Amino acid sequence: MDTYVILRRSGWKDGAELGEAAARSTAEGERMPDDIAWIRSYVLEERDGRVGTVCIYQASSPEAIRRHAGEAVLPVDEIVKVVDTVFVRPDPVPTTA
Amino acid sequence: MTIVSGRADTGERLLERDDVLAALSGAYAEARAGTGRLVLVSGESGVGKTSVVRAFLAGVSRSSRVLAGGCDPLFTPRPLGPFADLASGAGERLRELLLRDSTPSEVFEEVREELSSGSNVLVLEDLHWADEASLDVIRLLGRRIEGIPALVLATYRDDELERTHPLRVVLGELGAFAGAESVRIEPLSAEAVARLAEGYDLDPYELYRLTSGNPFYVREVLDAGGEAIPETVRSAVLARTARLSDEAVSVAESVSVAPPNLDAWTLGRVCGDAADSLDECISGGVLVSTDGGLAFRHELARLAVEESLSPTRRLELHRRVLTALEDPPLGTPDLARLAHHADAAGDADAVLRYAPAAAERALSVGAFREAAAQFARALRFAGDQPPAERASFLERRSRACYLADDQVEAIEVMGEAIECWKDAGAGLSQARALAELNWYLNCRGLHTLSQEAIAEASELVADHPKSREAASVYSTQANMRRLEGDLEGCIRLARAAAEIAEQTGDTRTAAEALVTLGVAELSRDKHIGREILERTIADCRASGEVTEAARALNYLGIIGVFRYDHELANTHLPAALEHCNAHNLDLWRINALAFTARSQLDQGRWAEAAESARLLLEDPRESPWPHHEALVVLALVRGRRGDPGAREALREAREVGVSPEEHYAIVALAAAEAELAWLEGNPQEIDRVTAPVLASAVSRGASDEATRLTYWRQLAALETSADDHFSGPYAAGAAGDWREDAARWELRACPYETALALSQTGDVEALMQALEISRELGARPLAARIGRGLRELGANGVPRGPRPSTRENPARLTARELEVLTLVSDGLRNAEIADRLVVSRRTVDHHVSAILRKLDARTRGEAVAAATELGVLEDR
Repeated sequence: MDTYVILRRSGWKDGAELGEAAARSTAEGERMPDDIAWIRSYVLEERDGRVGTVCIYQASSPEAIRRHAGEAVLPVDEIVKVVDTVFVRPDPVPTTA
Repeated sequence: MTIVSGRADTGERLLERDDVLAALSGAYAEARAGTGRLVLVSGESGVGKTSVVRAFLAGVSRSSRVLAGGCDPLFTPRPLGPFADLASGAGERLRELLLRDSTPSEVFEEVREELSSGSNVLVLEDLHWADEASLDVIRLLGRRIEGIPALVLATYRDDELERTHPLRVVLGELGAFAGAESVRIEPLSAEAVARLAEGYDLDPYELYRLTSGNPFYVREVLDAGGEAIPETVRSAVLARTARLSDEAVSVAESVSVAPPNLDAWTLGRVCGDAADSLDECISGGVLVSTDGGLAFRHELARLAVEESLSPTRRLELHRRVLTALEDPPLGTPDLARLAHHADAAGDADAVLRYAPAAAERALSVGAFREAAAQFARALRFAGDQPPAERASFLERRSRACYLADDQVEAIEVMGEAIECWKDAGAGLSQARALAELNWYLNCRGLHTLSQEAIAEASELVADHPKSREAASVYSTQANMRRLEGDLEGCIRLARAAAEIAEQTGDTRTAAEALVTLGVAELSRDKHIGREILERTIADCRASGEVTEAARALNYLGIIGVFRYDHELANTHLPAALEHCNAHNLDLWRINALAFTARSQLDQGRWAEAAESARLLLEDPRESPWPHHEALVVLALVRGRRGDPGAREALREAREVGVSPEEHYAIVALAAAEAELAWLEGNPQEIDRVTAPVLASAVSRGASDEATRLTYWRQLAALETSADDHFSGPYAAGAAGDWREDAARWELRACPYETALALSQTGDVEALMQALEISRELGARPLAARIGRGLRELGANGVPRGPRPSTRENPARLTARELEVLTLVSDGLRNAEIADRLVVSRRTVDHHVSAILRKLDARTRGEAVAAATELGVLEDR
């Protein structure tokens, strides 16, 4: 499996809608464990007032990412393959606003 | 290993097998409820697969019938062996079917019938030894299992499956079927081994370390009862036999050379009076009595005893078993077993008597790999035979290799056969073999060699123009003419071949020639060609010429792909796949799959194209062109979507190594490389990849291919050929007439190519249309290029960068459909929408029904509600 960054810009109206999408994503991901592993996502505050994500996945191929997105009804703007990781420090612990 | 059919509880306690047993019970419950299941039980040798199956069977309902069959560790297994085993417990029809050399699909149908009668459990053991025909039956079972109210349990050893093992192909395929699942049996833990060793005077840790938790090994050590732990399974087994009397050892040794078992009558003939010591072997735990006769409790035990025999003793035993089996008190002897013992006894006459007969039997039931092995066996003993005899074995072995998907070996062996026929002075037979070789060579793209072969064959039949052999030569020549583009010549030769073949009663060659004739007609006139081929397919199906039917179905699809006739491709490629699946014609199946991927790409159905390519690439069959094509299609899907991995796929395609004479593949690869380079904006790269292939196409006079490469050079503003005799689908683009090119691609319903051509017209309206098409396709790089082009042209209202409509929205509505849906939600009727969008009423009707379908809605109101819920419609 390779690591990929997936951009899903302005995919959702708000956090609640994104939450539902995340549940679908997890459920579909569990159905294809050999092809997809969701590592983490960063939720983006978009200029149009919506929310988007940058997702880090491991996947067997870009097609597997698109198949998963199709099944879970998630948008895909761009898939980029990660060739290396420069690890500086762990992600900050999310603070509830 | 043989399972005792019925439900014998061994009374042994099974440790750490609860999970596996629960999985089997779950599958059994589903099967009883009507949804059949196939469970593959794997594990290393001796891990206890049979014990688990036996423990499970002890718990199945009394109303369930258990059918069991096993595969044998013969060097070359009995074709359909496991089904012959289970036939004894099954209906009369299955037994009859197996007696008269039936094909795997016939056997499957009967097994299905047998299993449909109610709650049944079918156990197939030791699939790692299965012959090819049995594996074909199992594949069909896996494919259809959900519709059969039965549980199929299949066991195999997973520690001995090298990469090219035929079972691997089947396992890969079965994994994709919803009704199939796998469970693996792991060796025992140290705790479990310690529990088993309770009460014995042995160090449990040492026992675990030496046996690695292998239950068979542990049991052998414990039963040996010594104080030291034997260092190998073999010494543990031999420690047990060492306690038997000499007579009992002689019985065990006799059984060890005759897997899977030896019946009591044969044993008596082999051992004489010593056979009286049989009970000692059974009470000593060395042998068990099974349905088929006496057998070792475990294959590991049999091997240990067999390997301990001296070469002379082994030879002696095989001779005696052979003599006894040749003359059974009832029934007919099994040819594969006879060939096995004849070989091991070094009896050349017997090998030459039985191996070719066993091979023919294997061929007739579709066990091609076994047939090839039996002919190889015969050939090893045929050194003193006259050349004609050897030529016949070689020719038949070559055909079996070809059918078993070993084309390289088939070509090699057919070459030897041809030499032998030559030595024998049999010119006509030599011609027939050359004609056959021609097909194999074409399969690998070795066209120069295939032309030489057919030229030689043609001379050999010149004096016998009405012979059976001449028909096969003409049929081959007809196909060659078609490949060269000489349709008139092809049709003339194919007619002659079909006529002579029919007169000489050669139905296979007659069918072959008629299919070639139909394909040639199809290249000229769709309706005439289609009619001929469809009639030929029906005839082939009726007469059992399933391979020629597959070839005809493939070509109907292929011509559809070449001509961008999607209707033809979409009708016949799925039909070809279904036919090939039903008859396990794997080479034609992956060929059809490669063309399916290409056709889906052309139609803009990229997700499906990538899926077809993936399926093909997972197939371990060694056949270069289809793999090459799948990788090229995958690269183009990735490149056109802007996804990573396009270059890697092309690199892999290059590594597949198709023949340099496989021009279609070489041009497709160069065109794909040029396309990626164009998307990256790299004209030098386009020059580099197209120039040599273009030069070769020009020198061969292959105008369509030259045009296809020139198209990319035109796009990169590179030098193109001075004379502009462009031809084929890319002609208008290659000449730089992009409006005409766009119109032609639109007519062919190839959306990506249409958008690409429109994007080159320099016309704002055309570019806007191109932008819409490329966004609907998800062609991000092309859309980005068009967006830049539009901005350069000073067009207003072109969005910068991505916005929601450029992505696939949740319901995958197109931009236009979203627009229509918004108007629907505003309460407009179709006629009003048509006015608003300045399109025809019919176009709106079409959009609305697409929207309803995509949102799975019955009414417009439901569609609006569903769209709002999905967030497709903006809250306004």
